[in-house]
Amino acid sequence: MRKTLAQWAGLAAALMLLTPASAHSPICNCYDNGDGTVTCEGGFSDGASAAGVAIRVVDGEDRVLIDGKMDDSSSFSFTKPDQEFHIVFDAGQSHIVTIFGEDIE
Amino acid sequence: MRTAAFRSVHGVLWAGLGIALGAAGPARAHFQVLYTAETALDSGRAMHVMMLFTHPGHGGPSMDMGQPEGFYVVSQRGEEAAPVKTDLMQYLEPVRWHAEQGQAQAYQADLPRTLARSLGDYVFVLEPAPFYESGEDKYIQQFTKMLVNVGGVPGNWGAAVGLPAEILPLDKPYANWTGGVFRGVVVASGRPVPNAELEVEYLNYALDLEGHRFASEPEVQYPQGSFGTLSIKANDRGEFVIGLARAGWWGICALTVGTDTEHEGKPLSQDAVLWIQVKDMR
Repeated sequence: MRKTLAQWAGLAAALMLLTPASAHSPICNCYDNGDGTVTCEGGFSDGASAAGVAIRVVDGEDRVLIDGKMDDSSSFSFTKPDQEFHIVFDAGQSHIVTIFGEDIE
Repeated sequence: MRTAAFRSVHGVLWAGLGIALGAAGPARAHFQVLYTAETALDSGRAMHVMMLFTHPGHGGPSMDMGQPEGFYVVSQRGEEAAPVKTDLMQYLEPVRWHAEQGQAQAYQADLPRTLARSLGDYVFVLEPAPFYESGEDKYIQQFTKMLVNVGGVPGNWGAAVGLPAEILPLDKPYANWTGGVFRGVVVASGRPVPNAELEVEYLNYALDLEGHRFASEPEVQYPQGSFGTLSIKANDRGEFVIGLARAGWWGICALTVGTDTEHEGKPLSQDAVLWIQVKDMR
């Protein structure tokens, strides 16, 4: 049976209503381990895991120094760069958190 | 229902005060306080925790605590992670809490940042020693929880620790607006307690954590004795709701819900206490 444009529009509207709400926010926090390394932890405001989320350590000229992913415990550790750096926790469009090296305690 | 009329332990000074206040003195509830200044943290930090057995709605009297049987935190980062239990007994430090009627044995703990620097929920638990209440010739043991969150990532805030008497939150204890409500379930060893009796008190006198005493002036004046300790009942599923009329700390205590009913040959009341922090929307 061929569907009319109106039927397809109705189906699309129904599917949109079924789409789960996506009100969660990305969260990332980093701390200095005191041994020359930094650990970053990620998560979401709804408690979802951040395992597999991309994380990058970037220098002051936007060159990627370290390219990695959050591990199964939503953590990522790296050796602290000598130069100025920031961290990009990249969970996709509108789900990006940036942390500057000087803010890490 | 337990009120000060039955639980009075205050001795001559407080008896005298009671006479001065009149025959219809305000109801007061024993509460195990488990306090830290801030429960919703942007990032992990060192924490100062105060433990005090008192009547928070009235700024005392305070009672001597025995050496706690347990003090620990159960933390969890994210809802899918496994909870981690960390013993905190090594951080307990006895202190004397000053009060009008004298001093009371209390405890404090300075917890290093490394204990709570990860994102997630931290369920602090105090299992106090049973307290002998001479006015009732019985023991009281209040299993007490206080929750802290780091960074806004939720974890185990609604999960049971598995205490003999416990309040399970249905709302996050660290994220409450003034004027909202807080819901919970009273459980004993994991099973809901139908029609449980609860007492609710506002921490009406600020804690002076340096001087180890209450502030001299209350936050609010009670219009009548019924308001200092709010007595409510859970429904037939053990659920309850309270309104949050003011920012600050609210203590919720479910009375005599634990299954152990005797200690050293005397009646034992195993209570469940939960503390929640409330903030103004501004």
